[in-house]
Amino acid sequence: MKVPLSWLKEYVDITMSPEELAHMLTMAGLEVEALEYIGASWGDAIITAQIVHLEKVAGSDHLSYTRVNTGEEELGIICGAPNIKQGDKVPLALVGAKVGDLTIGEKKTMGYFSQGMLCSPRELGIGNDHSGIYILDPETALGLKLVDVLGEVVLEFAIKANRGDLSSIIGIAREVAALTKQELRIPQVNLHEQGKPAAEMIQVTVEDTDLCPRYSARIISGITIGPSPEWMGRRLLAAGMRPINNVVDITNYVMLEFGQPLHGFDYELVRQQHIIVRRAHPGEEMTTLDDVKRKLTLDMLLITDPEGPTAIAGVMGGAISEVNDGTTTVLLEAANFQAANVRRTSVALGLRTDASSRFEKRLDPELTVAGANRAMQLMEDLIGGTVHPGIVDCYPSPSQPRAIAFSTDDVEWLTGVKVTQHEVVDALSWLDFIVVPDELSNGMQVIVPTFRTDIQESADLVEEVLRMIGYNSIPSTIPVGPLPEPQVDSWFEREYAVRNILIGAGLNEVVTYAMTSRARMVNLLAYADFQSARALLQGAKSVPSHGTSTAGATNNGASTAVVAFDTRTLPAVTLVNPLSSDHDAMRLTLMSGLLETVQENSKRSKAGLRFFEIGRRYLPPVAEGNLPDERRSVGIALSGPAEISWAAELARPADFFDLKGVVETMLAALHISRYRFTPTQHPTFHPGRCALLELLRLASDGEETFSPVGVLGEVHPVVQQRYDLTQRTYLCELDLEQLYEAVPGSLTYQPISRHQELTRDLALVVDERVPAQDVHDAIVQSGGELLRQAALFDVYTGEPIPSGKKNLTYSLSYQSQERTLTDAEVNTLQEGIIRTLHDQFGAVLR
Amino acid sequence: MIGQLNTLLEQLDALQARAIEQLEPIETSAQLEEWDHTYLGRKRGELTNISSVMGKLSKDERPVVGQKINAVKAELTERLAAKKEALRQREMLQALEQERIDVTLPGRAMPVGHMHPISRAIWDVTQVFVKMGFHVIDGPEVETDYYNFQALNIPEDHPARDMQDTFWVVPGQILLRTQTSPMQIRAMQQMRPPVRVVAPGKVYRNEAVDASHEAMFHQVEGLLIDEYCTMGDLKGCLERVARELFGESRRVRFRGSYFPFTEPSAEMDIDCPICSGQGCRTCKYTGWIEMLGCGMVHPRVLREVGYDPAKYRGFAFGLGPERVAILRHTVEEIRLFSGNDLRFLKQF
Repeated sequence: MKVPLSWLKEYVDITMSPEELAHMLTMAGLEVEALEYIGASWGDAIITAQIVHLEKVAGSDHLSYTRVNTGEEELGIICGAPNIKQGDKVPLALVGAKVGDLTIGEKKTMGYFSQGMLCSPRELGIGNDHSGIYILDPETALGLKLVDVLGEVVLEFAIKANRGDLSSIIGIAREVAALTKQELRIPQVNLHEQGKPAAEMIQVTVEDTDLCPRYSARIISGITIGPSPEWMGRRLLAAGMRPINNVVDITNYVMLEFGQPLHGFDYELVRQQHIIVRRAHPGEEMTTLDDVKRKLTLDMLLITDPEGPTAIAGVMGGAISEVNDGTTTVLLEAANFQAANVRRTSVALGLRTDASSRFEKRLDPELTVAGANRAMQLMEDLIGGTVHPGIVDCYPSPSQPRAIAFSTDDVEWLTGVKVTQHEVVDALSWLDFIVVPDELSNGMQVIVPTFRTDIQESADLVEEVLRMIGYNSIPSTIPVGPLPEPQVDSWFEREYAVRNILIGAGLNEVVTYAMTSRARMVNLLAYADFQSARALLQGAKSVPSHGTSTAGATNNGASTAVVAFDTRTLPAVTLVNPLSSDHDAMRLTLMSGLLETVQENSKRSKAGLRFFEIGRRYLPPVAEGNLPDERRSVGIALSGPAEISWAAELARPADFFDLKGVVETMLAALHISRYRFTPTQHPTFHPGRCALLELLRLASDGEETFSPVGVLGEVHPVVQQRYDLTQRTYLCELDLEQLYEAVPGSLTYQPISRHQELTRDLALVVDERVPAQDVHDAIVQSGGELLRQAALFDVYTGEPIPSGKKNLTYSLSYQSQERTLTDAEVNTLQEGIIRTLHDQFGAVLR
Repeated sequence: MIGQLNTLLEQLDALQARAIEQLEPIETSAQLEEWDHTYLGRKRGELTNISSVMGKLSKDERPVVGQKINAVKAELTERLAAKKEALRQREMLQALEQERIDVTLPGRAMPVGHMHPISRAIWDVTQVFVKMGFHVIDGPEVETDYYNFQALNIPEDHPARDMQDTFWVVPGQILLRTQTSPMQIRAMQQMRPPVRVVAPGKVYRNEAVDASHEAMFHQVEGLLIDEYCTMGDLKGCLERVARELFGESRRVRFRGSYFPFTEPSAEMDIDCPICSGQGCRTCKYTGWIEMLGCGMVHPRVLREVGYDPAKYRGFAFGLGPERVAILRHTVEEIRLFSGNDLRFLKQF
């Protein structure tokens, strides 16, 4: 809401500077967003002058030569505008003046000297009109600086949604008056009513009083449509409204002044002289003032006559009964419409108007008559014509002022500020509350003025008192109440624990958009078939592990016959009004955002591409209407070397075991020890370089089973290429909630054995395809309790190992907690292990 | 025989002199070994050779010569040991010299990871409250209209909904939360007073993205409900946040505002940490920076969750970690936080 300061000063005396005023109001909750200084750029060289002579320039179809009087001298000016005439007072830019980007100089045109420029509203920056010169008020003195005549300071307010009463200059003046303890001057009405009473000229029927609590109408006849006075047009422009004609301008002026939206109908065009306020009928349509034909729905409130709609209540008038150049009698509507309904209608039609934005903030029904009378007064004064006696006023249930029991204790209860009864009475009275103090206590009865539709209970009054005495009076204290029970374990802390581990592992945390698109997610799939999509959607769960797959349910990813897959059928949480089609679905995986991050960064550098993200995946709800399953997850991406370095081990590009090492580091730091990695197939990954992380879990029946928490691997070359990646890239995604289920609640110390440890090396030859994990598991199982550790320290293929075989060498440590083991004992254990490995894998000793 | 004795003694002197002379220039262990062999060798060493004439000497002469031989031997052995040690020292020095490296080459550092500046800001903000006994909680980002709006005193068709352009999943029912305030309702439903919670998380607004607007950003919601709690406590707590994050001398100020779920409502400004309130570009020459919105929990919100506003009261606030990070690190574009450019991330 833009408020010209000179207009505001009509209602209240203001002595402070505009800046001080803006600060005072901002602190009291009326935020001044900007101060605009109209005319600040004009300087001293644009002045008022009068045209004393005007002649056509021979040989030009549009130029005139004028002589203008500045009060001190007469200057010759060439001007191309069609609207000037002798005697007009106009803004004159003297030689040397700056108008916009133009510096005025003396010049000779078609034989005439021009010593300045006459200015249009657009050139002055006070309007859009460039069709002619700005014509000043005939009373204007000559030779004045234009800034002293037309200069203005405009305060731009951000009006809060609860304060419909502040969408008016008088409303703001009331706040200024209260804060500065000045008198508020509201324009008085003194109409000369004549002729036929309005009630005999128009009938008003409000059918839906729930949506229209009050409808007031007045009539003025014998008027002539024309432009409004210069000062009114200027004020409207400064307030951000375009002048149209005298009737429309007066309705807008009064709306800005009082906050009551008004609508003028051409009385003759209201058929059968009957206004009916009702909800729209099925299939009804109408053309609004902006010449758009609009389809109406049943819950929209209309102003109609017996033959059809003439306006959409509280939103916009209709073309059919619009005030036009031939209008002589105006039916003025000042109504009160239900806030929510106006808002719903205006949102549904995509039509936000000055009227609708006021109605939706809940206006005072008492305001209709004041607004209607003020408009009649202005029309009578400025246009002439006859105001018909009386107001046709449909107001079946007048609003009753609200009374609230209040006390100084209420202020202290909420704010900690101690106030006296006197201070409270004073503060509220200045805001036009009627306060009846209780002489025996701190209490009082507060009658709320009807325009304060936002004040419902004592907390609202506390805020009013606070605004008046200043928020600065609030003390600064620390809560003294009892502390809640301690919080044992929070997801917040768990997420930061993982975050710190991964940062410690040299990864960079990223935060990517949770909003993506199906197409962007499907990019992760080497082959987009339905099975693959399902894998993506359900994460690790749907990918059968090597060890636990059951016949028929195996998803072989890329090797499965590709079933045509329509990206749109990918189930995802979908936004109906997305930023763009690239952001219309919530992510099902962190991996696409991570891969996009690698892609973007790899354009700049091929090294240091080590990222992780902790965030959620949004799995669509099983049942419609439920909220999605937001899975806390961690994603990791590695690509290329850790850094550009002279040191070969650092410059080495990342491989699968770097990624796996990060995951193992994280597991170790979380004290998760019972897990395994199993080869698997996943549509995002290289078929031979992808593993499932499985954690050992105790089922409710006491049985221990491995269950998957996530997947890691080398990105499939097809996918890698799709993201323009030239280096092998590694991705991992784990479900944090499942991961945390395996974190031990407490750690128990294992006594360090005082008995000697015996070590034996074990070198085996097995088939190349036998997973090392399986061999390791078998060793551990067979070795039993006395086998302390089995560490793989060499993997070898090539001569003299036969092709298709590999050599694995382990260092096995045996130790007992109770006694020193003998060589014979250990030999027996070692032989048992060798036998087991032979039986299970055909392993032979090397 | 005296003459022979004297000759022998002279020979021994000469032998010693020669041996010492030859020992001097020796540079390598091999030469030293040969020298050892030549003079002190047990089989054909010169000293051994001379000793072999002992048998021809008289009984009286033997001890004289014997002592002399021993003296020479001792002398040469000692010199040999000294020379050996000197050579060993020199060879070690040579070997070390050969192992010289360029210590100015870059080290083989462990890669250093970086926490995202928003994560850091969220951690720092929450820890101020954790120290005051607050729990850190979180909740769904895809929310219901009830929690995001209705329960917060923002009914359908309320103009306050304009303050927050909403992404809808099911229009009118399910949305991406526009604020972390729904966590106020969820916390009050799940707990009983005293309630002290902070709830950080992502929020979403359907706004055109530019240098100062993001469609996805973060908030930290704070809520305290108790039998005793005033707006002064709110101010005191937030003052602590301002001081812990932006320096001990920070001042805060409250000014009037409107949020449907607080009454009274306030905006909190801090004096500009860049210019200490003197006026600069960051604070648009006002000396103050808008920090957050806050207020006392609206009685209607308390009633909605079954708390009696005559018994319980409390405060709530919503703070933007992006705003904190922008001020702390003088970041000029909010978009950098979701851009994930390594050149940006590595600075934190």
